[in-house]
Amino acid sequence: MNLLRVNFNEAFRSLWGARQRSLLALIGIVIGIGSVIAMVSIGTIVQQESIRQFKDMGVDVVTIRRGFGESAAVPFRADVIARLPQEKPQILEVAPYVNSGGDYYRGRAKINLEQMGVTAAFFSINKLAAVKGRLLSDLDANRYCCVVGAELAAFLRQNGLSEPVGGRLTVNDRAYTIVGVLAPSAEGGLRPYGINRGMLAPLSTAQRSFSNADINTILARVAPNTQIERLKAEVSDYFAKKSRGAQVEITSAEELIERMKKQMQMFSLLLGAIGSIALIVGGIGVMNVMLISVTERRSEIGLRRALGAQRGDIQSQFLIESVILCLVGGLIGIVLGTGVAFGFARLSQWQFVMSYTAVLLGFGVSTLVGIFCGFYPARTASRLDPIKALRS
Amino acid sequence: MNEQMLDIVDIRKSYRVGPTEVNVLKGINLAVARGELLAIIGPSGSGKSTLMHMLGLLEKPDSGLYAIDGTRVTYDDDRALSTLRNRKIGFVFQQYHLLPKLTALENVGVPLAYRGMAADEIRKQSRTYLAKVDIEHRALHRPNEMSGGQQQRVAIARALVGRPAIILADEPTGALDQKTGEEIMELFRRLNREEGITIVVITHNPALACQCGRSVKIIDGMIYSA
Ligand SMILES: Nc1ncnc2c1ncn2[C@@H]1O[C@H](COP(=O)(O)OP(=O)(O)OP(=O)(O)O)[C@@H](O)[C@H]1O
Ligand SMILES: [Mg+2]
Repeated sequence: MNLLRVNFNEAFRSLWGARQRSLLALIGIVIGIGSVIAMVSIGTIVQQESIRQFKDMGVDVVTIRRGFGESAAVPFRADVIARLPQEKPQILEVAPYVNSGGDYYRGRAKINLEQMGVTAAFFSINKLAAVKGRLLSDLDANRYCCVVGAELAAFLRQNGLSEPVGGRLTVNDRAYTIVGVLAPSAEGGLRPYGINRGMLAPLSTAQRSFSNADINTILARVAPNTQIERLKAEVSDYFAKKSRGAQVEITSAEELIERMKKQMQMFSLLLGAIGSIALIVGGIGVMNVMLISVTERRSEIGLRRALGAQRGDIQSQFLIESVILCLVGGLIGIVLGTGVAFGFARLSQWQFVMSYTAVLLGFGVSTLVGIFCGFYPARTASRLDPIKALRS
Repeated sequence: MNEQMLDIVDIRKSYRVGPTEVNVLKGINLAVARGELLAIIGPSGSGKSTLMHMLGLLEKPDSGLYAIDGTRVTYDDDRALSTLRNRKIGFVFQQYHLLPKLTALENVGVPLAYRGMAADEIRKQSRTYLAKVDIEHRALHRPNEMSGGQQQRVAIARALVGRPAIILADEPTGALDQKTGEEIMELFRRLNREEGITIVVITHNPALACQCGRSVKIIDGMIYSA
């Protein structure tokens, strides 16, 4: 044990003795570990942020999609869907919808319009709110009215309809009265894309007038702590019985989050790998410094051997030196990298999360780099012929 | 059993330099008794240092037998050799070979550190031996803050501190002026006389050799009693 401490002291002394050189090697490691930590931390921040955004949209939602293939080519029937919450108490609310897209012209200006047919539940499940006017209710059934998404509203305002609410939107020769404008909403996840540039009409109206009127997708809100696997089985069973062998595909928010996490981890890994390139360069710097140190101290090595040092003593002396160098560099790198990640989070106004994995990784990797890059020089030192070393 | 501290029988060593083989030691027989102070003299290049390195277990002979303090030396185990060097041998070099970044006290402690001794104990012992060679007042000085003679005293303290079986000194006065050299030789004689320490000294100076109990001469790799 004392030997180890002796070697520690020696290592510190010799690093301090060659401060300039040690500093240069240190900078390499600082940059290397710093970039790995920064990259991994930023990856984590991005991951947490996207998951947080996703969770804001609601994690208690599942989508039930009509299966593909011949046997499954049966559209959902509205009455079958409507009875789902009564039959399956885990399902609190269902929102079947239809959608189709197409270009919408107003004068020469064009927007890619998302035509949707929805029920009142669609708004609550998707947490949509009106900034102007009102949302649709079940009393609007069969009426030619609609609410418009934020983007579409802006488009209309720019192109002659200064006040969308109360105005008319003519699509496929049918005129819809605009009754409300939606607040901008995040898209993606289980939420259908295109709500922001959507015109949302009552489902019953849509089924009579849209070109594609089949209900292919249902959004459903489920009770807390619902067992998704069991729900899947029950719902599949339900549709198979009620809809002549219809097959359904059910996706839960949880599953999507899991999938997203996996993708994000790959992303973090990739960032980490990019950072590792800097680390490799830093490691080479350390090895170089250690090799110079061994060459410069040949006579010291010879003397120590003459005084009775074992090969292992010499080897651990240099190994400890290189590990100390890398650990100190790693420590500074961790602080620096975390700082960079913090700055990144501040700039993008995202929530900063300290990535403990990254910190542990930083310590682990710098120790490994120290051992790895110190091993060859240390071994060279321990194998020197004492007499030749002493004479030099 | 063996009364000799060192006993070498028919030691040979040659070096290969390119195509030529240089025979440096050509069958050396030498016994050094316990408590003896032996001087080795000889012209430059005759093989004195090579013999010294052999005795100090830094070099492996091509053939021959070597026993130190009654133990036959085998050369196949580097660990055992290192341990023997640490326990049985105390080196003193012409160029002192102190570690420049350590204080005198720390330099003296190095051999003990490799025994795994506790730091306090090392410091205590080191101080004792610095005192024994009259250099305790320089304990906290670094080598570049000391004269050659003072550095050599520190080196001698380092050789003594582990209570080795034998001190091997290769031209310990070679880098010193005459007066300081004589003081160092006097120190060796005193250590030998008062403490009974076995010492082998290489020197170029016949006058210094005469002060030793016995001296042998090496000429061209062969040993002769002088
Ligand atoms: N590693 C080696 N390779 C080749 N030749 C060597 C080696 N070591 C020593 N020699 C040769 O061995 C011979 C004896 O060298 P050594 O150092 O023992 O002499 P020395 O008696 O100590 O001389 P000096 O009094 O000058 O110190 C020299 O001719 C030297 O060139
Ligand atoms: Mg010599």
